[in-house]
Amino acid sequence: MQGGSTGIVYGGLKYQARCIADVCADPDNTSFLAGTLSLKEENEVHLIRVSPSGTELVCEGLFYHPNEIWDLKSCPFDSRIFSTVFTSGETYGASIWEIPELYGQSNSPQLEKLFSLQELSSKIKCVLWWPRGKHDKLISIDEGNIFLWSIDSSNKTAKVISQESIGMLHSLSGGSWDPHDRNAVATICDSSLQCWDLRTMKKTTSIDNIHFRDVDYNPKMQHIIVTADDEFGIRIWDIRKPKFHLDEFPGHVHWTWAVRYNPEYDGLILTAGTDSAVNLWLASPAGSNDSIPESLSDYAARQNDPLLHSYNDYEDSVYGVAWSCREPSIFASLSYDGRVVVESVKSFLQTPKEPF
Amino acid sequence: MALESAPSPLDEKTKRTRDLLASFYNAASGATAGGSNSSSGRALPVDSINSPNFDPDVYMSVIVQKENLDGLLHNHVEMAAEIKNLDTDLQMLVYENYNKFISVTDTIKRMKSNIIGMEENMKQLLDKITSVQSKSDIVNTSLFEKREHIEKLHQTRNLLRKVQFIYDLPARLGKCIKAEAYADAVRYFTGAKPIFEAYGDSSFQDCKRASEEAIDIVIHNLQSKLSSESEPIEARADAVVLLKKLNFPVDNLKSKLLEKFEDCLLKFHNESKEIELSESDGLPKASIREFSKTVHAYLIIFPDSESRLIRLAQDFFIKRYGIIQQQIKKGISAAHLLLMLRDIWEDVNIMVEVLPEATLLFQIVEAASGICKQYILAAFSNLLQEISELFKTHSRPTEQSEESPLHIALESSKKAILQGSMNMLVEFRQLLDDNLELLVNLRDLIREWVQEGFQYFFQKLDQNFFILSRSGRPSTTESSLNDLVYTERVRTGLVLVLAQLSVYIEQVVIPRVTEEIATSFSGGGVRAYDHGPAFVPGEFCRLFHSAGEKFLHLYVSMKSQNISIILKKRFTTPIWIKHKEPREVNMFVDLLLQELDGLLAEVRQVLQHGLLRRHHRSDSNGSTNSSRSNPMHEDKLGRSNTQRVKSQFLESHLAKLFEQKMEIFTKVEYTQESVVSTVVKLCLKSLQEFVRLQTLNRSGYQQIQLDVEFLKNPLKQYVDDEAATNFLLKEVINAAHERCLDPIPLELPILDKLINAKLNKRQGSEIKFLPSN
Repeated sequence: MQGGSTGIVYGGLKYQARCIADVCADPDNTSFLAGTLSLKEENEVHLIRVSPSGTELVCEGLFYHPNEIWDLKSCPFDSRIFSTVFTSGETYGASIWEIPELYGQSNSPQLEKLFSLQELSSKIKCVLWWPRGKHDKLISIDEGNIFLWSIDSSNKTAKVISQESIGMLHSLSGGSWDPHDRNAVATICDSSLQCWDLRTMKKTTSIDNIHFRDVDYNPKMQHIIVTADDEFGIRIWDIRKPKFHLDEFPGHVHWTWAVRYNPEYDGLILTAGTDSAVNLWLASPAGSNDSIPESLSDYAARQNDPLLHSYNDYEDSVYGVAWSCREPSIFASLSYDGRVVVESVKSFLQTPKEPF
Repeated sequence: MALESAPSPLDEKTKRTRDLLASFYNAASGATAGGSNSSSGRALPVDSINSPNFDPDVYMSVIVQKENLDGLLHNHVEMAAEIKNLDTDLQMLVYENYNKFISVTDTIKRMKSNIIGMEENMKQLLDKITSVQSKSDIVNTSLFEKREHIEKLHQTRNLLRKVQFIYDLPARLGKCIKAEAYADAVRYFTGAKPIFEAYGDSSFQDCKRASEEAIDIVIHNLQSKLSSESEPIEARADAVVLLKKLNFPVDNLKSKLLEKFEDCLLKFHNESKEIELSESDGLPKASIREFSKTVHAYLIIFPDSESRLIRLAQDFFIKRYGIIQQQIKKGISAAHLLLMLRDIWEDVNIMVEVLPEATLLFQIVEAASGICKQYILAAFSNLLQEISELFKTHSRPTEQSEESPLHIALESSKKAILQGSMNMLVEFRQLLDDNLELLVNLRDLIREWVQEGFQYFFQKLDQNFFILSRSGRPSTTESSLNDLVYTERVRTGLVLVLAQLSVYIEQVVIPRVTEEIATSFSGGGVRAYDHGPAFVPGEFCRLFHSAGEKFLHLYVSMKSQNISIILKKRFTTPIWIKHKEPREVNMFVDLLLQELDGLLAEVRQVLQHGLLRRHHRSDSNGSTNSSRSNPMHEDKLGRSNTQRVKSQFLESHLAKLFEQKMEIFTKVEYTQESVVSTVVKLCLKSLQEFVRLQTLNRSGYQQIQLDVEFLKNPLKQYVDDEAATNFLLKEVINAAHERCLDPIPLELPILDKLINAKLNKRQGSEIKFLPSN
């Protein structure tokens, strides 16, 4: 795998970076947004487009961003809108931005700030859009609270509809919005994963005593989530049965930082890790394994390696990884040194999927 | 006649005469005579006087030519004499014939006169006979009535005799009972029975009752005779026959007796079970001979009870097999099992002598195979049980009385597995080598079972290991935090033990077992061709190899997680952006080093030293790396110019490009050094990642710089891959540098001073943490 880099590299980011997002609302182009993380320099957001030939990455737009970006999400229904979470020294903030019309000139026009999510009492961690199209709500998660916002992008206003505090003992670090249910969201904190009902703002279920780093909903099957944690690596759960996980993969040598379900191919999972690698996994179809704890399942299943491929041609930890919605067989990854690599997983899709 | 007369020259003349006469009387015989004479006729041609075609002219001419005068004269005389003779003969014949004719005529005449008188006599005779017949008829009719009367009288007499017999019957029966001549009694009674049936209600009532009473006594006696053991079997069999003749319900009796026998067997079984519990030498010496005798007796007494007896015997033996199986459950040695099997085999053989039925033999073969299989499986599961017990005791937090609990755990479990398997094989070999006929047939099966058993054993062992490693995971649900930390420590050690044990199994146990199986348990050819051998050592080598690696990785990740928790606390609690000036090395390094010491202590108990420093190449590689990057690092440290920060980022970026990519995460090996350095590397990487998540002020940066600089030296003692550690430490500093708003490093003298202060403090108070080497 060494040196077998098949991906297209984009080296345009001048600084360290953590965040990359797929612009899924753009039906014409496969493009990604990446934001840099530089404490002292002027940060940038790059709109990177995969050329129609699919052989190079073009910088479609470069916008200055006032602060270092810790989270970046593209709006699922308007390709020109995205959200960022940023810090500058001691202050934290989150804003919704609109990319101005470009009219050919790509050279760093100013981003238009639609509105910022005020009323942030503590460190904001991330902003969530509902992943399936038009929805006038947003979720922001900070260390202690979860906020549900009602947004109006035409009037450029946003106001908090409801909020729930998680309590002093935990500090939230991220979350994921259920694509099957607008009222369900999963959040992760130091030691547990909680699912919330947004109508009542109450916890529905939780998986306790595990330090999760990331979570993602299966876009194809409701109630199925994948999580990344330090102890077991990558695990797949049915949130209706939080006691037992359905499946597990060893994860990365060091931390598994991010985990993403492929939007199209069921069971295809991408993980990014601080061991400078991106791993591609194939989960056996849920249900074939039932909910038997893995220790009891037979040998054949255990020996069947779920790891399809490990991309490890990175110089530094990989924090950002994003599938393309438009072309679900490609993904972009962003390592800390600011390199964006777009890879295609087509060659792994040809492997027979049916159980042997 | 003419032929018989030999042609002697003397009789020549008479013969010729006779011939002539014969031809005269009978032409046919003459023809034959002529035929027979043809030889002489040929000898005597035409001139021969005796030939039929005699030609006198030719004869004459021949004679005239041949003879002289004398001869002729002589012939003449001779011939004249012959003629004369012939004439007289002829005369004689004629005379004789005539005489005969005369006498015949006389005889006929006499016959005629005799026959005329006879007819009259015959008539007389007929008359006499008819008169005799009529007279006899008269006599007959006159005697008929009397004869009938006599016959009636005779019948009456017979009847009277029978009645007499019946009246005598009770007395006679009594006599028979006294003499124990039951057969006679039964014969009498059955003889009288039809009469009783016909007239029992009227004339012979008393008699019938009396004799029935007597017969009841007979029946009773017969019954007691039947059930008494002392009687000879034949007598008992006779009794049964007699009872049957009396229409007594023998079947009931039979079933009662057999039930009694069954009870007896059951009682014996229960007794033997109790005995078995107390003693351990083989199955109780059953009084099987007695049983077989009884069975034999019953077989003769009740010839139709065979199937029932067979069933009884089967049940009996099934119960005995049950005893063995219970014993196996309790765990017994192969010798003991053999003893029991031998006993039961003998018993069965004794039984088969009297009950010549294939089912019993078939049954015992089946049962024995079941027992052997159960024994083998039980042995394997016992061993498994033993091993998991061992782990349970070792994983339980005991008082730290032992110097190196992990070492002991490893050694004892190693021993348990190898020794256990070997002992088991020895036991099985006993089964295999025994020449008990029963087991000889089962040898192939036993071999196969042993192989299957090992297959099962290793599979289970692997699963058990896996579950053990799972249960060893620290689960935060446990009550108190102290307890948690404690049990966790013991259990992470357990995972390491499991890793090493897996390697041991892969490299020592499986080859040994395979060898043993090859020498004495190979070729269980029953299914070998269909499914391949039951035990596949290669598969398990692979399995345990991967399991070992898994456990090793698990151990490493568990250990680095523990450290990661320390680091996390360290980096998430303070507000780094408002950090105060560093006064001393942060105490988390103590915790870190303590944790590493603990790790080292565990690893030393279980793993071996690396034979030599394996990373020679990467060492040299690394040293060039560090020598290349060190001046830059110094340069960076010395530089206090904030304006050049931006170019520094580019510089380090460029430097990275030129540096060979550092292989931080190399394969973990089963050596102390490799495991410890992997953990160190992982925790330094975590350190770097934690730093990257913070935003620091100058003092925060300096604090991290100080901590890292301090760690540099102590860490050297743990790792074999110094280059990688240095690289990672440098990366931590870099990360801090990047995340610092105002990255001005501590001045070197202050840095040295603080580090030395910390060192002195540690040497003074916490010398025990330093590895003794």
